[in-house]
Amino acid sequence: MVVSRRRKQAVEKPSTAEELAHRLHEAAEAGTAVFPVGGGRAAEMGDPPARDGIELHTTALDRVLEHSQADMVVSVEAGITLEALQALLKKSGQFLPLDPFNSPGHTVGGLLASGWTGPLRLRYGTARDFLIGIRVALPDGRLASAGGRVVKNVSGYDLMKLHYGAMGTLGVIVAASFKVFPKALHDATVSFDHESMDEVWAAAERALGLPMTPSAVEVFSSGRVMARFMGSPDATKRTVTDLGWAQADGSVWEQHAKAAPPQWARIAMPRHQLRPILERLGPEQSWWASPGTGIANWTVAGGAEDVQAVRSAAVAAGGSLVLMAGPADFRRDARAWGTPPATLHLMRRLRTAFDPNEVINPGRFVV
Amino acid sequence: MALAQSVLEELRRVVGKEHVIDSSNDLRIFERDASIEGSAPDAVVLPANAAEVSAVIKIASKNRIPVVPRGAGTGLSGGAVTIRGGIALQVTRMRKILEIDPVAQTALVEPGVVNQELSLVAAAQRLFYAPDPSSQKACTLGGNAAENSGGPHCLYYGVTTNHVLGMEVVLADGSVHWVSGDAPDRIGLDLCGVLVGSEGTLCAITKIKVRLLRTPPSVATLLAAFPTIDAASQAVSAVIGHGIVPAALEMMDSVTVGAVEAHYHAGYPTDAGAVLLVEVDGIAESTLELMNAIRHVLAENHGYAMREAQTPAERDLLWAGRKGAIGALGRIKPNYYLHDGVVPRSRLPQILSAVGEIGVHYKLPVANVFHAGDGNLHPNILFDLRDRDVLPQVESAGEEMLRAVVELGGALSGEHGIGLEKSAFMPWVFSHDDLDAMRLVKNALDAHGIMNPGKIFPDPERKMPHLAGRTGLAIEAKWW
Repeated sequence: MVVSRRRKQAVEKPSTAEELAHRLHEAAEAGTAVFPVGGGRAAEMGDPPARDGIELHTTALDRVLEHSQADMVVSVEAGITLEALQALLKKSGQFLPLDPFNSPGHTVGGLLASGWTGPLRLRYGTARDFLIGIRVALPDGRLASAGGRVVKNVSGYDLMKLHYGAMGTLGVIVAASFKVFPKALHDATVSFDHESMDEVWAAAERALGLPMTPSAVEVFSSGRVMARFMGSPDATKRTVTDLGWAQADGSVWEQHAKAAPPQWARIAMPRHQLRPILERLGPEQSWWASPGTGIANWTVAGGAEDVQAVRSAAVAAGGSLVLMAGPADFRRDARAWGTPPATLHLMRRLRTAFDPNEVINPGRFVV
Repeated sequence: MALAQSVLEELRRVVGKEHVIDSSNDLRIFERDASIEGSAPDAVVLPANAAEVSAVIKIASKNRIPVVPRGAGTGLSGGAVTIRGGIALQVTRMRKILEIDPVAQTALVEPGVVNQELSLVAAAQRLFYAPDPSSQKACTLGGNAAENSGGPHCLYYGVTTNHVLGMEVVLADGSVHWVSGDAPDRIGLDLCGVLVGSEGTLCAITKIKVRLLRTPPSVATLLAAFPTIDAASQAVSAVIGHGIVPAALEMMDSVTVGAVEAHYHAGYPTDAGAVLLVEVDGIAESTLELMNAIRHVLAENHGYAMREAQTPAERDLLWAGRKGAIGALGRIKPNYYLHDGVVPRSRLPQILSAVGEIGVHYKLPVANVFHAGDGNLHPNILFDLRDRDVLPQVESAGEEMLRAVVELGGALSGEHGIGLEKSAFMPWVFSHDDLDAMRLVKNALDAHGIMNPGKIFPDPERKMPHLAGRTGLAIEAKWW
């Protein structure tokens, strides 16, 4: 039976990792489903849950455990918001290169569990690339850590990778450590509005092919292209001059990160398969995309059949389509994830090992 | 324990008679990697493709025979050592670069391809493969992926796991799978991410898809001398604190510099307490501007005798000194023992002084040559294996160094892996529960424990090193 997440569920807000682990264990013993909630920004990601249960909020776990400015490493509890963490890092001229959509209000734990990213991924990769340590509450009530707080580490299995993007199905993330980055010496943003989409794609390719690699390139179905260059002042200035687009204020990125259509899908493709998929959508559709990484975000105006058709095309070209937000009925009909990968049985083995009774987010993820 | 004749015959049927080695003399060649402990396999099997790897592992699985994948045997933690005997799965016949896609900027390779060969071949398309272990002339990409190897340029570009897009792997039951691939954000759990760096304990790797990067148009390489290791360490923190993450930032101490200079005549200043090798790349404006800023920061931190490579040949010579440093140390003593603990960068002065004191205590020369920007140490304990009593001293010194690393909040290994040599120390940094969570993964994918047994996890069957038994968990209460 499928139950809408809108139904009133018991809400708990533990104030320590130990307490969270304890509540998770109690729920697991009782066979009660547990839905971890951070900032709630990705609450509509995934299939509607298979049964009712309790919401376990991490927002009271919002401490900074350690910020070693000289080591450029920060350890935080999972419930801290990205904005609070960035404000702290900014004081030292540092930042975490995460700029997810539907901002502000993401928690660090939520971002790790959902794997949401933004335009800066082109230059810095995803949190997967700079997450150096993790602490997770397991359904058996134990707290298990992996990694550490140094920037390079091959001690033991890289469980950070396994929990990243796992939607909490292997345990609830309670703390994380990151390698942070120095604020760019110079940070320039330029944009251009084109009449035709051919010009838009050509402009994006030109920006991506420059000798100085851009930190972000975003294209929009409206005909706009935006590029961001971060690096030494001379190099950045020359590159921006060479490109010849209009200078824009850096705040456009903050504005862009607020993007959150009511029904929205992420299309992830091998880089050079992205344009054909978006062209297939047709000119009346609204989307924005990172052509350098192969990811597009599509505002779904139609119904489940439209989603299925685009998904089929994306999968046939080696990519995927995942629903990021939308009403439960829509997600149930269109399926949040689509056809599971051929290795699903291996993933299920891991799920069974970590959460044998499937109490965390039952029915929401592919495992 | 020798394998049953019937098993050997089955193996020969799969890979061909000439590709199964089982004579005791030949097997001894495969008993070691580049670490210090050895143990001969019962057979060496050289498969030609994934189907053969799968068939070999099925035979091993049915007969509960350990399987240890092996590339070039350059590993430094005993990862390829067949400590419980069994089959050494030698992948060096699988050495084709299957595809270089200049548009997607990716390469598809077999596991036996040598690291440097990929960059040399990709150079024709003005592309390169970023992770560059010092052993890159010999080490294989399969071994790199299994160990999640690093290298000097990983400071800016990241380690192997950041460059592997997907892999074809064979699990302990002989099943063959593709994990991840060309598209980003694959659906489901990140199997590829946990298999990279799993040190052969979860799978054998039969194909790897890696990301290639565009060759930077301009590179600048600077050598700078410092009066002391402390001053050089401060300079490292100052450069990065200035907002500059160089492509590489390497340190060598005076012992290393002396040996390197005697061997390579690269112009390293032999009066220095330490030298830094700094490289930046990008467009010409960027390298010029960054290098000027770096020179300024280094000078403020007692850097002197700064010399920038003026030609590619000069740059190669500076790097030859760094990458060949460990070989050059043979001028001092014929053998070395190398750990690669990582400390928070700001702790470099403390750890280097601790390392120095431990060397003095054990009367063993120590040469430091390491990835300073990452805080990734490489203290080389130098010795002569012909001194019969020296080995326990060497091991104890290494263990004390790692202990000091852990006490400063560091990690047991930055890029070499835990393998055999550091498995007993894992409880220093991980609690029982932490290790159990890792065991959940192991048991889920290799229930019978045939893949590279005796590695990573503390092995109750092995004698505990004396320190490991004595001290217990180093970092209690704090989650690391």
